[in-house]
Amino acid sequence: MDLTLWLGQSLAALAHRPDGVLAVAETVPALVDPVAAGPLQVGDWEFVAANADYLLGGTVLTVLLTVTSLVLGFLLGFPAGAIEVYGDGVLRTLVRKFGVVLRGTPIIVIMIFTYYVLPIEVPINAIVAVLTAVDAALGPTPFTVPTSVPDTFMAATLALGFRSAAYQSQIFRGALESIDEGQLAAARSIGMSRLEGIRHVVVPQALRRSVPGFQNEFTIVLKDTSIAFAIGLAELLKRSHDLFLQQTTAVLEIVLFMSLIYFVLTFAVNRTLDYGSSYFAIPGDSS
Amino acid sequence: MTAPRTDDGDGRTADERRGDGDERTGSPSSATAATDPLLRVENLHKSYGAEEVLRGVSLEIDRGDVEVLVGPSGSGKSTLLQCLNCLTEIDSGHIYLGDTEVTASDTDPNEIRQQIGMVFQDINLFAHLTARKNITLGLRKVRGMSADAARERADSELDRVGLADQADSYPAQLSGGQKQRVGIARALAMDPEVMLFDEPTSALDPELSNEVLTVMDELVDEGMTMVVVTHEMRFARGAASGITFLADGQIVERGPPERLFENPSHERTAQFFENISHDHD
Repeated sequence: MDLTLWLGQSLAALAHRPDGVLAVAETVPALVDPVAAGPLQVGDWEFVAANADYLLGGTVLTVLLTVTSLVLGFLLGFPAGAIEVYGDGVLRTLVRKFGVVLRGTPIIVIMIFTYYVLPIEVPINAIVAVLTAVDAALGPTPFTVPTSVPDTFMAATLALGFRSAAYQSQIFRGALESIDEGQLAAARSIGMSRLEGIRHVVVPQALRRSVPGFQNEFTIVLKDTSIAFAIGLAELLKRSHDLFLQQTTAVLEIVLFMSLIYFVLTFAVNRTLDYGSSYFAIPGDSS
Repeated sequence: MTAPRTDDGDGRTADERRGDGDERTGSPSSATAATDPLLRVENLHKSYGAEEVLRGVSLEIDRGDVEVLVGPSGSGKSTLLQCLNCLTEIDSGHIYLGDTEVTASDTDPNEIRQQIGMVFQDINLFAHLTARKNITLGLRKVRGMSADAARERADSELDRVGLADQADSYPAQLSGGQKQRVGIARALAMDPEVMLFDEPTSALDPELSNEVLTVMDELVDEGMTMVVVTHEMRFARGAASGITFLADGQIVERGPPERLFENPSHERTAQFFENISHDHD
């Protein structure tokens, strides 16, 4: 099959490069021509099944990375969107320019930057310090506080999180701007400050309207976690690649299985958000 | 005062009609009973860019008065209301509510807005909240009322506008007239000294307008001080204690409804009422 051959050769080519960032394989396995071996062989599926737990381990990391990236993206992106709508002066200009740069840069470049250029131990130490402080404040809990965070995971979270913030800020900006100005005027007319009006009247409506855009963003971030492969984070794609290096005839089976996992994740979360969206929908509102 | 003001006996008939709620009803013939005006506007100027929307407007409205503002579109009626409610910043001039100067720099506009209720042309109910919660939101967040007290107050305001059975409906589930009545109830719940109405019925069908006008008539009967921008001349004739005719950002003429309708001093005023009556025929 052409597709099998192409995938096999491309992945093999990546693994062969000794100088590049993508050179992750330490030993180069003997290449078997996937065409000669034939696609979708029972033995290859058995290989996938035998290593399913290894892939699911990568899936857990993928989900974790998606969550941390989206949370960071929300924490930065929501205020950024609000600043773009309601802010003024230097802050607004800065937020806009930062967003333009982030949206205009390929994710792999951002990730290479956060991994190789940023002093990554600074945010790692900060996170560990915060977690330790929270743990101390909470007293004994059933959870163990991590004493360190893998630098690949931190770099991937920062890259995906900042990029997602840039996109989420536009989702929220659009949603905030779509709320009629009269809503804020009405809130102020009963004695609310501008900030109270935005918080209690505009934001609750804007968040509802941002769900479709957010579903999109979720799907994109989930799938783009695979870029962390480039800095060697053992998420789903990296582990799939590891398996392929062990049994090169199984590349199509591995890729299909991996894609199925991505699909199930995106499908399940999109359906959940659909449900949440209709649950929180304003009764009688057609928009 | 840039505009002529006619303080004759006609103004007082409105007070009599409003009944016992008003402190001045004791002796309608006594000219000295009137206290300081509740709302006083002095030489108000407001521009949007190069366009001067209000060009020196002065106005005095006594407690219990129902002042109807009329005038062609673009005359500055809505802007005047927004200035009164501090929703728009003024360029120069002074506005007083009782003894408080609304326009003073140390006056908290949020405090003023609680005392001045506003009803909007496009209604502006909070779309994500039920009728009841539209009313409780301000009571809870601005007044700091408990949930139970706010709910009780909201229900009594809804009952006042005849919508007790719609407390749990969302704005999108209500008719235009019902929505506007909730809008009125929302403003009344804050116990305002003055109620401003910015063309409250112009977005509604005539049939739906009537239910809103009925509620407004009841407010008049209760002695509420009101400033109303409207083209509903039936309401103006029946309820207004004074009519102010604005054109090009200035008050052209001001007086009791009978005189302005029957015998306006200015050609411009006569022309306007002529046009309006044709529209409504």
